[in-house]
Amino acid sequence: MKEAEKPMTEQESLALITTMINRAKDVNHSTGLTSIMWGLVITTCSLVRLAEIHYDFRLPFDIYLLTVLAIAPTIYFSIKEKKQSRVTGYKDRFIDYTWLAFGISIFLLSFIMNVLFANLRPLKESVELATGTNLVGMTYEYMASFFLMLYGLPTFITGASMKFRPMLWGGIICWVSCLTALYTPVKTDLLLTAISALFAWFIPGLILEKDYRKAKKELGASHV
Amino acid sequence: MFKDLNPILHSQLRLAVMSLLISVKEAEFTFIREKTNATAGNLSVQIQKLKEAGYIEVVKQFRDNYPQTSCHITPQGIKAFEEYVACLQGYLGKQ
Repeated sequence: MKEAEKPMTEQESLALITTMINRAKDVNHSTGLTSIMWGLVITTCSLVRLAEIHYDFRLPFDIYLLTVLAIAPTIYFSIKEKKQSRVTGYKDRFIDYTWLAFGISIFLLSFIMNVLFANLRPLKESVELATGTNLVGMTYEYMASFFLMLYGLPTFITGASMKFRPMLWGGIICWVSCLTALYTPVKTDLLLTAISALFAWFIPGLILEKDYRKAKKELGASHV
Repeated sequence: MFKDLNPILHSQLRLAVMSLLISVKEAEFTFIREKTNATAGNLSVQIQKLKEAGYIEVVKQFRDNYPQTSCHITPQGIKAFEEYVACLQGYLGKQ
């Protein structure tokens, strides 16, 4: 665009405004790495726990500790993305806070579940003797649904606000799995969690990463 | 020709810059240059004019030892842009 151009008509001015606003909307600077990593972490945790139950063995550590280990790379990738980002949108902070709230909620839910199991364990034998019901096992049955409900929330919000359909559908898949898991045994719940994590984070993350690479390549070419 | 349109905004590149900045919270110079397809020199001149009019703020800083220029629209810029668009819509309405 050059400075000394011919005067613009009102239609040309409006067309230019519309074009530029649309170009700004297309901006998506996420590398997708965090999404890919969490998709892999949750899928791995669920499948390993499923294998532990199915083949009746226990790893020397709790596989869900992987989620704690994944926090540090998440912070690292997020800070790196923010530094590399050449534009800050109005939605960015909203999405960041949504995921932060999700992280806090997941931590609280895990904490609540631990307290609940700790309180139920002393009653386990007496309830089993009296009613024949495995109280702890029964509570464990519904745990996946709570987590899947929460997984769907930030995923759906991010997908909808970014107009990124793979993530929007990923959120919906989490909620469908949440309802399904209410009526299925623990092993199926774990499988549903693994599938949901793949569709909600891993696959959208791969798409974001591909788009990011493409945009970076185009930018590099335009600067030659 | 429009007599009443804000002459600062009624320029192709300045209007393009303002339209970009109204849509985002903050943008780097390289991002604006990429989206407007302008040359660095011309863009610098137009950004300076918008800054002098009080429509945008320009922040120059160093990031990883490299100079970095970022811009964001001011409340005065938002008001001027809205008035410009309203004026355009008025002209279109008359036709």
